[in-house]
Amino acid sequence: MPMSARRLALALALSAALAWPSVQAARKPDPNKLPSIRVQDLHYGEVLFQFYAGQEFQALTELEAFSQWQRMPHHAADADLLAGGLYLSLGMHNEAGRRFERLLTNDVPLGVRNRAWFYLAKIWYERGYYDRSEAALDHIGASMGAELDAERNHLLVNALMRQQRFDAAIAQLQAFQGSSDWMAYARFNLGVALVRAGRLEEAAPILTQVGTLNTNSDELLNLRDKANLALGYAYLQANQSALAGVPLERVRLNGPYSTRALLGDGYAHAELGEYQAALRPWLELHRRDLLDAAVQESYLAVPYAFGKLDANGQSADYYESALQSFATESQNLDTAIAKLGNGHMLDDLLGEDKDARYGWFWQLKALPDAPQSRYLYSVLADNDFQEGLKNYRDLAFMQGTLRHWDQSMEAFAAMTETRARAYAERLPRTDALLQTDAPLRLREARARVGSSLDAIETTADVAALGTPNERSQWARVERLEELVASLPAGEERDQAHEKLQLIKGALYWQLDAQFKARSYEEHRALREIDAALEELQNRWVRVQQARATVPSDTDAFSARIAALAARVQSVRSRLADASQQQNQYLEGVAVAQLRAQQERLDAYALQARFALASIYDRAADQAGNAPAPPPAPAEAPPSTQPAAPAEPR
Amino acid sequence: MNDTRSLPMPMKPASRSSRLAAALIVALAAGLVAPLWAADAPPPAAAGASAAAATAPGSPPATGEGSATRSLDEQIQDLKKDVVDLNKDLFMLEEELLFPANTQVAVFVSMDVGDFFALDSISLKIDSHEVSNYLYTPREVTALLKGGVQRLYVGNLRSGQHELVALFNGKGPHERAYRRAASVRFEKGVGAKYLELKITDHQRAQQPEFEIKDWE
Repeated sequence: MPMSARRLALALALSAALAWPSVQAARKPDPNKLPSIRVQDLHYGEVLFQFYAGQEFQALTELEAFSQWQRMPHHAADADLLAGGLYLSLGMHNEAGRRFERLLTNDVPLGVRNRAWFYLAKIWYERGYYDRSEAALDHIGASMGAELDAERNHLLVNALMRQQRFDAAIAQLQAFQGSSDWMAYARFNLGVALVRAGRLEEAAPILTQVGTLNTNSDELLNLRDKANLALGYAYLQANQSALAGVPLERVRLNGPYSTRALLGDGYAHAELGEYQAALRPWLELHRRDLLDAAVQESYLAVPYAFGKLDANGQSADYYESALQSFATESQNLDTAIAKLGNGHMLDDLLGEDKDARYGWFWQLKALPDAPQSRYLYSVLADNDFQEGLKNYRDLAFMQGTLRHWDQSMEAFAAMTETRARAYAERLPRTDALLQTDAPLRLREARARVGSSLDAIETTADVAALGTPNERSQWARVERLEELVASLPAGEERDQAHEKLQLIKGALYWQLDAQFKARSYEEHRALREIDAALEELQNRWVRVQQARATVPSDTDAFSARIAALAARVQSVRSRLADASQQQNQYLEGVAVAQLRAQQERLDAYALQARFALASIYDRAADQAGNAPAPPPAPAEAPPSTQPAAPAEPR
Repeated sequence: MNDTRSLPMPMKPASRSSRLAAALIVALAAGLVAPLWAADAPPPAAAGASAAAATAPGSPPATGEGSATRSLDEQIQDLKKDVVDLNKDLFMLEEELLFPANTQVAVFVSMDVGDFFALDSISLKIDSHEVSNYLYTPREVTALLKGGVQRLYVGNLRSGQHELVALFNGKGPHERAYRRAASVRFEKGVGAKYLELKITDHQRAQQPEFEIKDWE
């Protein structure tokens, strides 16, 4: 039965399943949406309730169970599609993909299909399945509106570039038209793709255009910085240092890309022999946080430039200071690596995230207050790491769920045992009862009463329905009638007969007056007996059925419980293994990143020591040949070509 | 309740998707320079360069690492699906064991519009025995208003006549405390019995309405 006036759009359900903000839309029919539907099955409504309340896992569990029980006959198709959305929102992209492949047929409105494929493409992209992401985007059949089209194009380009297919990305980007924001992104991506394809001359004007955007938007200001950074480093890479300074100096000094820009700007000048000019950005960089790889690099670049300017004293001081800073930082990294390698890295991380939930949309928001945390920001910014962390979080949630079930299994087993015992205790009494023909006897008795009533009504035997007193009086009258009849004829008998007839008439009148009401009452009583007999019959049948089925039901439940308990154990064990593997893997990634930082520091320290030794050697040589000329610049710069800065964030 | 909300709207560049894009773009910028420095840098710096090149997401992941990540992710995907299936089987076992269809009674709650009543709690009595006293979170109320139907109570009853009394607590018109009861006598037969507590708005009376529907 349809529920009052409530209507639900599966579109809303699907959109919420994807946890995207739903938007109030016009109330006219929209070919891009699923039609509004009425909730016709309470259990489908319950699934939606769980889902809207943010209990996606429970919603999915109930959805699958209610489907199997066939409790949602009116919503089978909606439920399937919703399940696909739920699998997607829980990060089970493979299952979601399989379902979408099957469900997103022409029967589903095109707009819905396109959006489903689009969000699947997004999650596949984030999980690093670029080929599948591209294939999912290929399913999108028509325009989804300017904004979504732009985002789709953007995702496709990124997927292509991730697969090193720059020419395809370039072609895609060159054909793209969109709003000014999206055009800026497209131009930037085009510029980067051209550079990656070795076409710097074509890339330069495009990146310059993005790098000189006139905007107040933080997002676009960052994009502008990135364009300038990319172009500057592309020039450095192409040995066109004279051109690199201009874009690099356009990068904001307080933006997230400033350290890399300062480093590159210094090198652009150094490449041209302008060491005084190179010192300006490098000294600015030197004052910043040593955790940044570009800043670490500046600890070598600054003394190198001083050396080139014959300021050997200052150069030596900066090298000494660098060595000290590198040593301290290397020790800190040792401590952090030891902490990370303790096998509890992910638990430590998740311990701070009290409100953590499962699913694709979860993100770690806070880091524990621990010495190693400062090194983890760069690790956590890595998409693969975040996705792995989500998996670990999901596994932990599932382990908790199965732990709960594991405890319940014991209770279920105890329950079936108790039922079996209770059944055995009641069996003799039940069998004894079932061997009687109690229902039949009662039905026969009822039939007899019914026949009697029919006879009374047919013969209008009004006295039969009288009260006991009335019936006794009627019987007495009948006896007296016989007695009077046996008297000798005469006046006395006539008088007695007349009197008796008067009494009988009065009594009959009284009985007849109530006969209909009494007859009605008798019928009502019979109907009650019929109802009771029917209930008795039903119960009798149920007892008979229970007698036959309870042993097998109990056995079936026991078998199911045993089988499920074994599955719970097995899956728990697999979950534990997978969690451990995920932890080990991510721990390895984190430790490897920190070791790479440490190795870089060690390499810098080695370089600094060589440079310092060289300065001291020259100074010693000059001291031996007094009066000494000023010391020559260090011959082995830390790196005339700087090491690539660590991956910027 | 007509619900004509649309499918997900696209993100503006400032939001999620562009953050995703931004990460890639920056990574690409890093990838741009890494190979050069790695090739040209003197030995000490090359270590840093190679480290940067290895981690630059703009470059394809190292084959071993990428396939390891993907293989582990695939394995976890399969495992998650197994957990969902197992959880479903356990859910079904629990319900069939605890609330067999021939004795099951379930009470559902639905809410339409909700302009005149803000739900706080519902108490249920069956045959004068309190069986549920449920306090709603704002999120659950929102879920009801969006069209969800909550299965508030599941229990067992023998066949025959029974009475359900529901007591609704909340805020009525003008933010005043509002408390109303609704009751229904129902016949529990052989199959499962479903009852729905419906909270609706009576527009003409500007008051909420409470009704119990017996789903045959």
